[in-house]
Amino acid sequence: MASADKPINTDVPEKDVFALHFLQSLSNLRRQNTFNSPEKTNDRVKKIKKAAYVSMARAAGGTSRLWSRALLRRAAKETNKVVRFSRRKKRVTWLRRRSNRRDPVEEEEKEAERLRNLVPGGGAMETSKLIEETAYYIKCLSMQVKVMQCLVDGLSPK
Amino acid sequence: MDLTGLKWLQQQQMVSPEFLQIVGSDGREELRRVESYLGNNIYDTIDGCISRTSSFQMEPEKNNEENRTVALLNKRKPEGKTETRDQKKKKIKAEDETESSMKGKSNMSNTETSSETQKQDYIHVRARRGEATDRHSLAERARREKISKKMKCLQDIVPGCNKVTGKAGMLDEIINYVQSLQQQVEFLSMKLSFLNPELEFHINELSMMPDLRSFPLHQQGSLDYSVISSNQTTSPGAKIESSSSWDIHSQCVYNNLRTDSVSNFFSLK
Repeated sequence: MASADKPINTDVPEKDVFALHFLQSLSNLRRQNTFNSPEKTNDRVKKIKKAAYVSMARAAGGTSRLWSRALLRRAAKETNKVVRFSRRKKRVTWLRRRSNRRDPVEEEEKEAERLRNLVPGGGAMETSKLIEETAYYIKCLSMQVKVMQCLVDGLSPK
Repeated sequence: MDLTGLKWLQQQQMVSPEFLQIVGSDGREELRRVESYLGNNIYDTIDGCISRTSSFQMEPEKNNEENRTVALLNKRKPEGKTETRDQKKKKIKAEDETESSMKGKSNMSNTETSSETQKQDYIHVRARRGEATDRHSLAERARREKISKKMKCLQDIVPGCNKVTGKAGMLDEIINYVQSLQQQVEFLSMKLSFLNPELEFHINELSMMPDLRSFPLHQQGSLDYSVISSNQTTSPGAKIESSSSWDIHSQCVYNNLRTDSVSNFFSLK
């Protein structure tokens, strides 16, 4: 989708980038050697899902977007990895988080609350920034869904 | 001091007693002078937006022909003095309610030069008719307009958002869309985990391929699945393939991919 939006810049990388990242993350999963059959299906599904999200976050521009950063941080927490962010942005995010803990008084804030719960890292953003990030997030998600759909279609038995 | 702005106000009959009070004692005098101008044509130069500087000098501003109402005149609080001292003005298009009543032509000259020289350190907002001029409400209004502009952009992205108007409905649609996308990701990952329990992709060779972005993107290449299906050895009803057949599958896939390129594989849809 070509996007010529002036207020929001929603240029998402091409499908190839997403595909490449996803395949790479899947191969990493395989290398971890935890995919033997005795393992429960649920865990496997969860790992694939997490790999999908992490690869999407990386493909969409690494740490340049707030939601991708939040996704990566969330994933890294579980694996005890250290994720490097630039210090200044981290501090700004932290301050935002502190100042944003106000009760949703207005009608708009109540709705924004629901959006915040959906988009990763939404709690640390103001409403206008939230909308930008949501637009970008939606585009990336749809791209990731397309990639996965192609993969499934290609690999399903005919 | 130029009085054409005040004269315009008088014509519009928007002068409230508070206004006089705030303008001060000099204002009375000037308004009396203004009354003498009534009936004359409006000067071509001024279109009468009165801005207030910190020293309470009334300086009418040159403006575009889009009309704007002087924000001071409506809804003035008694302590409005201090609040309107630093009146902010942005370049927001005001509603054109009073233009029809204006006689004469308005000048097309710029207001920017004059306003900039006066207030360079303020953000300038033009308030609409019937709205308060507090600094907070102005900022609030500007913020709300920014948000609504962005929502419009979002509307273009989310399919099916055109029918519903209004912020609430649109937000509902957007939230539903995001949720459905996330559910799709989950569903597809479940499918993937069933399709290949071993996850044998042979991607090592793939990753060593030359930069994929240089490959042609939207070719309608067809992946040769006939090769794959002929090698299939699983029973027709089985969802989960055996690992050996999967290895053969992936090899075939890889061989085909080497000729076609990954982008073709992923541009089937």
